Amino acid sequence: MTFLQTAFYFFAAVMVFAATMVITVRNPVKSALFLVLTFFSAACVWLTLEAEFLAIVLVLVYVGAVMVLFLFVVMMLDINLARLRAGFTGYLPIGGLVAVLMVAELIFILTGDSFSADNLPRPEGHGGSYSNTRQLGSVLYTFYVYPFEIAAIILLVAIIAAIVLTLRKRPDTKYLNPADQVSVRREDRVRLVKMPAERRHSGNWSS
Amino acid sequence: MGKSISNTLQSFFLWELLKGLRLTGRNFFARKITVQFPEERTPKSPRFRGLHALRRYPNGEERCIACKLCEAVCPAAAITIESEERDDGTRRTTRYDIDLFKCIYCGFCEESCPVDSIVETDIGDFHMENQGDNIITKDQLLAIGDKYEKRIAAARAEDAPYR
Amino acid sequence: MEYWVYSIFSGSPDWIRYVALNVFKIGLILTPLLLAVAYLTFAERKVIGYMQMRVGPNRVGPRGWLQPIADALKLLLKEAIIPTNANRFLFLVAPVLTITPALAVWAVVPFSETMVLANIDASLLYVLALTSMGVYGVIIAGWASNSKYAFLGAMRSAAQIVAYEIAMGFALVGVLMAAGSLNLQEIVIAQEGGFHQWYVWPLLPLFLVYFISGVAETNRSPFDVAEGESEIVAGFHVEYSGMTFAVFFMAEYANMILIAALASTLFLGGWQAPLDIDALEAIPGLVWFLLKTCFMAFFFLWFRATFPRYRYDQIMRLGWKVFIPVTLVWIGVIGFATFFTPIGHWFH
Repeated sequence: MTFLQTAFYFFAAVMVFAATMVITVRNPVKSALFLVLTFFSAACVWLTLEAEFLAIVLVLVYVGAVMVLFLFVVMMLDINLARLRAGFTGYLPIGGLVAVLMVAELIFILTGDSFSADNLPRPEGHGGSYSNTRQLGSVLYTFYVYPFEIAAIILLVAIIAAIVLTLRKRPDTKYLNPADQVSVRREDRVRLVKMPAERRHSGNWSS
Repeated sequence: MGKSISNTLQSFFLWELLKGLRLTGRNFFARKITVQFPEERTPKSPRFRGLHALRRYPNGEERCIACKLCEAVCPAAAITIESEERDDGTRRTTRYDIDLFKCIYCGFCEESCPVDSIVETDIGDFHMENQGDNIITKDQLLAIGDKYEKRIAAARAEDAPYR
Repeated sequence: MEYWVYSIFSGSPDWIRYVALNVFKIGLILTPLLLAVAYLTFAERKVIGYMQMRVGPNRVGPRGWLQPIADALKLLLKEAIIPTNANRFLFLVAPVLTITPALAVWAVVPFSETMVLANIDASLLYVLALTSMGVYGVIIAGWASNSKYAFLGAMRSAAQIVAYEIAMGFALVGVLMAAGSLNLQEIVIAQEGGFHQWYVWPLLPLFLVYFISGVAETNRSPFDVAEGESEIVAGFHVEYSGMTFAVFFMAEYANMILIAALASTLFLGGWQAPLDIDALEAIPGLVWFLLKTCFMAFFFLWFRATFPRYRYDQIMRLGWKVFIPVTLVWIGVIGFATFFTPIGHWFH
């Protein structure tokens, strides 16, 4: 077994284990953390395919940003496990049916010709100077420039839509605009007044 | 309008922040005013109220006559005095304990003493190592008084014109 | 050096020699780094002391030089307390998760023309990816402590890091547009030829955004609301003590040095000499790199001695509403200037 194979099997094993834990572990926070581990191992597997750009971007986007927000939400939840499991047996047949269907489909596809070792050989190894990033960039901005830009615009629309959906005026909150506060200068709030000093009375104070 | 533009420009060029940085940057090179405490000390007032002491007359006789004024005036009830008649017919203490944990160093004992016996010295740094050490007895108080008599007397003399 | 390591393992198979050589190199990076972390704490106390007209720690060892050693010993000997209802495993894993990315990033930092542990192709992205992993340690620490202060601190810190990472990423986009490469070593080489070639001049707004975001990402003053002692005691590491606390502490300082090192690599020409004359070129690149890093690290301490803490909504406003637009505009300016104006060469 070469080093690459060892690395692949190691990361693949970690990934499968972590993915299993995601759906079996009770605590949602732990489950989210196992999902992070799954993403990370997937990135490591991609590294063995010389796809270092994609691997790093996977870590950057999914591990670094998406999962952080997931964790954010999950940590706030107070999930009552007993109530969640109340209808478990009732949904079991449907769930089992879906699972069996999916397994059958996967077996059907994966054992077919299109994914066989002959049709999908291992990509050829490149030399040390091969730049995955440059290749990806040159393809993405020439052949696939329209799909790429369209995808970007769809994402932008989604972002704006999400913001619009959650944006609401709340007149009952005493919200202060930090921009206004920051832009306040001393002259706006303080007025220095020049006053002549009063002369002291020569008589005694009690009179 | 022009003012708000100049304000915006100022905040984009981090003008106020730079002014703040300049201030601390200047102080970085300024002369340091730290007093290296155990080696260097700041001057102390003759009225400094620190560790207590019991004084003696120049002939070696202890001053305290067990009038118990200090015990009565002590706001923290830190002083415990027991007394009896000595062979020569004078009244003297047999016990003079001060609980340093109770004491608030107000100096009332010193003020109330008719014979200037109990005084508070200028010793500010002292410590105890064992439980029970916080109560200092008559012997210890007298020993402190004997040891620092010169300093105590000098401080009293210096402060005398203002009393 | 490589020969020396190889000669020790001369009888072993190739991969053992390879691993041994790399472990040796990693040690060569991490040992000075951890020492630098220790002495950065000392420098911080000294510098802040000086700026407040004090002298700082000067009792342990000659002029206080053994202070960090004494601090480390004290923390080692202290008891690591685990709160009763804490999640024991995650509680102990969190500090490790914080320090691992902080140390792993150093693999791609070019110390000189030849000294870089892993000269990988997308090292700038690697840096971004690993620094974004650091937030997990904070979140997990806050959650596993089972304390509301820790949890609030973790929430604040996570939101802050996510917000400023975007601005930081955009600032780095400007750098890679200028250099045309994601490789840190190539970015340094692109700034060859004296200080007027450094990216700090054409990319000045991006440099400021990058460095300020770096301060925010390391949760340093004035952005240290994650541990704002006046509101939430100490934030995500309230419940930590002894060695577990020390690891958080080390990670924070290692990240500070890292941000300083990256700022000098990306904007100040890395290991390049400031002037293109032989006398300065003769000094090894490592010296220049370390000088620039120290210079940038000094700013962290200077900021801490100068600025009061930002309020939380102001931090969020600065990140989302000021920095991101500024970086986006400047990226546009770079692109426009490069292709449509005669001063395009300026930006390369």
